[in-house]
Amino acid sequence: MIGIFFRNLVRDLIRQPLRTTLTLSGVVWGTFSVVLLIAFGDSVGKAQIKRFHGMGEGIVLGFPSTTTLPWQGLLKGKPVRVTPETVEAIPDKVPGIEVISPEFVGSRLISHGRKEFRNTVRGVNPGFERMRNTIAETGRFINPEDMAGRKRVCMIGDVLAQDLFDRLDVVGETIFIDNVPFTVVGVMRKKQQNSNYNGQRDERCAFIPWTTFAALYGYKYVSNFIFRPLDLGRSKAVTEDVKKHLAKLSGFNPADPDAISIWDTMDFEKQFTTFFMAFTVFLGVIGSFTLLVGGVGVASIMRVVVDERTREIGIKLAVGARRRTILWQFFSESLVIMLLGGLIGFGLSAGVLQAAKAVPAGSFSDFVGVPVLNPLVIVSTVLILLVIGVVAGIIPARTAASTDPIAALRK
Amino acid sequence: MIKLQGIKKIYLMGTQSLEALRGVSLKIGKGEFISIMGPSGSGKSTLMNIIGCLDTPTAGEYVLDGDKVAGLSFDRLAAVRNRKIGFVFQNFNLLPYATAWENVELPLLFDGKSARKRKERVIELLNAVGLYDWRSHRPSELSGGQQQRIALARALANDPPILLADEPTGNLDSKSGEEIMDVLTELWKEGRTIVMVTHNDHISARSQRIIRLFDGQVI
Repeated sequence: MIGIFFRNLVRDLIRQPLRTTLTLSGVVWGTFSVVLLIAFGDSVGKAQIKRFHGMGEGIVLGFPSTTTLPWQGLLKGKPVRVTPETVEAIPDKVPGIEVISPEFVGSRLISHGRKEFRNTVRGVNPGFERMRNTIAETGRFINPEDMAGRKRVCMIGDVLAQDLFDRLDVVGETIFIDNVPFTVVGVMRKKQQNSNYNGQRDERCAFIPWTTFAALYGYKYVSNFIFRPLDLGRSKAVTEDVKKHLAKLSGFNPADPDAISIWDTMDFEKQFTTFFMAFTVFLGVIGSFTLLVGGVGVASIMRVVVDERTREIGIKLAVGARRRTILWQFFSESLVIMLLGGLIGFGLSAGVLQAAKAVPAGSFSDFVGVPVLNPLVIVSTVLILLVIGVVAGIIPARTAASTDPIAALRK
Repeated sequence: MIKLQGIKKIYLMGTQSLEALRGVSLKIGKGEFISIMGPSGSGKSTLMNIIGCLDTPTAGEYVLDGDKVAGLSFDRLAAVRNRKIGFVFQNFNLLPYATAWENVELPLLFDGKSARKRKERVIELLNAVGLYDWRSHRPSELSGGQQQRIALARALANDPPILLADEPTGNLDSKSGEEIMDVLTELWKEGRTIVMVTHNDHISARSQRIIRLFDGQVI
């Protein structure tokens, strides 16, 4: 039976090469689209999250702003001021904070020899390195000793190093920030980053101890502060506690929503992830429609095959085949065509994805990432293929099984 | 063996209804060799289809080998066709892409017999019709007589008590026709019930009894 079945199938496929090619190509192309679109959507999402992580993972940013509610006799519109010492003392008063850093930000003249740029200078503490992924590639980030001694040292971004020196191994060199000499103690590791706040991306920044920044420019109040909660799931509650604590110290209504504006990157990331999930599903649906067209092709070709074999069906019914047997025969034939096309489509798309890997890393691959055949892609494609295959197979198979044996034998 | 009581078959064609059989009653005993004769449109084929369980009557009772068959589901009828009835058609109705062997094997497959049993039975049947050496040929490579002998072997696969032959010699030359009739006669002598539809008086002369149909009724 199996022997007859396969011989029959192969015969049908070979006898009409054009028909077979066209039928298969619909399924092949559909599978190819589904795989590539889902893989592409998935990788773009992941690449964007990775770039987003360039700014830091699991961090909350607080920007002291102006009050929007009157408080204890003061009118609204009062600027909220927070000192770096207050920021560094927050973890003593508010539980659940892993690490915190104040941040001064300024656009400053940075020069070396005859090269001069106006770039962003950030005055921070050593905890900043881990939170914001500003990891030293060579040398080190600023350390507690630099803080205590208000040392004129800096770690600079890789692009800034390249701009100033045309090279990256510049640890130990001296640069000038507003004509004050600073020793370069580290150069940042290259990273992907798609968002930032207050100034340039980290690759063009110079990082110095906030103590030095405060001493040099006479700043008393931070531009912003940045912390990471111990439990990332509790970031909202911890942030509320921090706001309440600062409300008491700086004198503003704890219910004031804008006195300290908050950027919770975890919130942002959730939205981001949801958006790209929806994006991937959308692409998957578009791909499924392409595959559906392929499935419709299979179904209609199978209708023709059923029609051509009406007599065969009649004979089989006459010698005792059950309707179920006939149904199964044609159903599995459609399914084999679907799976064959799916397999070729998978092979093709795997080839294309392999070729995409060979594309040298650049701004393109930074943006779309590297699409791969991961379990998500494989499982969803196989599911879509099966659903469409079953639907495309069952319709002609039912037609075949409901053949009237008498009419079929007369044909 | 076969008992038909007041069998009616009405075909509905749009608003018109066509009464192909108008109350046919007949009895065919075990081991009888019957010919059904009649002009075109007399209801011969409809009667054969009902006897062969390919069709169900609109009204009336049909008892086959002691079982009431009217009103059975299609798949139950399939089992009846498979085990109790062997069909021989005018145009052989062999599967064109399958070999002689596979054609003979078909009813055994649908009966769910094991591979070993199927093999034994097919060899036995092909030898009986003298076509064992032709087992891997397709129907298109066989003569009409040979094809009809393969069809006969297929009809006998599950050793059914009844053989239904619809113009079995209609597409054959007289020599092959005679041969097939010889085989049928032989099978009848072995105890099988044979019901044959034919136009040919010469052929029907071989049977014990002739049932004549006219306008959907036995005359």
